[in-house]
Amino acid sequence: MNPQGAHALPITAAEDAHYSAGDGGIGSRGITVLADKVIEKIASQVVSEESVAGGSSGGFLGIGTRADLSARPRASVELSGNIATLSVEVGMLYPVPLRQATEALRQRIRTRVMELTGIEVRQVDVRVSWLTTIDAGTGGRRKLL
Amino acid sequence: MKQTAGTLNRTWLTVLGILLLAAGIALLLQAAGVLPTRANTAPAGDKVVPGDLYPYFGVSWVVVLLMVIGLIVGVLGLMWLIAQIPRKNTADTYRLSDGAQGRTTCDPSVLAKAVENQVNNLPGVVTSSALLRGTATEPNLTLKVTVTDTADVQDLLRQLETSTLPNLSTALESPLQESRLQIDVSSRNQNTGTVVRSTGTVIQ
Repeated sequence: MNPQGAHALPITAAEDAHYSAGDGGIGSRGITVLADKVIEKIASQVVSEESVAGGSSGGFLGIGTRADLSARPRASVELSGNIATLSVEVGMLYPVPLRQATEALRQRIRTRVMELTGIEVRQVDVRVSWLTTIDAGTGGRRKLL
Repeated sequence: MKQTAGTLNRTWLTVLGILLLAAGIALLLQAAGVLPTRANTAPAGDKVVPGDLYPYFGVSWVVVLLMVIGLIVGVLGLMWLIAQIPRKNTADTYRLSDGAQGRTTCDPSVLAKAVENQVNNLPGVVTSSALLRGTATEPNLTLKVTVTDTADVQDLLRQLETSTLPNLSTALESPLQESRLQIDVSSRNQNTGTVVRSTGTVIQ
C-alpha cells in the first residue's frame, strides 16, 4: 500500500525476472515512490518550456500576478493506480489557434510525463486562463532599452 | 447591446390592448342599447346584479377561485416586471475540444480581454469593452469602442476588420457568426502607456 499522495513506479515482468535472477530479488532492492507533486511539476515544467504557453509569475496571494510565458503554470494530478489524469491551467499567446496549440501541448505533456515517470497519462484537461500578446510583455510600463 | 424585454412587452401590451378594446366596445354597445337586443343582456338603465353580492361570496369555491385567479395574475405581473431587468447573456465556458484525451476549456472573458487589449492599442482608441456570446464553434462578438474626437473612424474600422476580428477567428478556429460594433466618441486622450521601441544611435 502506497502512502497517501504518493505513487510507486510499476515494474514490468521482464525487469522483475531480471532482478529476481540476481541476488535477493526485487524486495531487497527497495522501491521508488513518486509523490503527486513530482508529476504535477513535470507537467508544468513541460508547459513552461513551450513558447506559446506558460504560467504566471510574481504577485502575492494571487494579487498582482503577471503573465509570463516562461513561468510554470498550475497543474494538478489525479492518480488511480498507474493511470494519471492531469489538469493544467495555462496562459497562451494570442492569437494562436487554441485547439491546435493545446492539442500539441497535451501530446507533449503526455509523452514527457510517460518518459520521465513511466506513468500512463490518460487524460490531460487544459484550461486557458489568460491570453497575452507579444507587445503586452512589458505590461504598459516603460522599459529601458 | 444588452438583451431587453422588448418583444415580450410588445406582445403583452398588444394582448392587453385587444382585451381592453373589446371591453370598451362591449360597454359602448351596451350603453347604446345594441347589445340588449342582440345578445339578450339586461337593458341599459337596469341593475345588472340584483340585490347585494354577499350571497355569491358566501360560497366557498367562489372565494377560492377568485384567490387562485388573483394569485396567477399577480405572479404573471411579477414575472413581467422581472423580465424588464436587462441581461448580458454572456456565453458559458467555451469548450474548445472534448475528447477521450482530455478537454480544453477557455472562459469567454479571457478571449474578450485579449480582444480589448488589442483594440486598446489601435490608434485613437481610448477604451473598449468586448463581450462574447454563443458557443466556441459559433461565437458572437459585441464590441464597444470609445475613440478620441480626432480619431480616424474609417481607419479604425479597417483595422478592426483586418486584424482584430480575424485574430479572434484564428484563436477560436471558427468564423465569427455575428459581430456588433458600437463606437462612442470621448474628449479624453488615448493613454496606452506603451512606448515605441526605436533603434537609436548608440553613442560610444
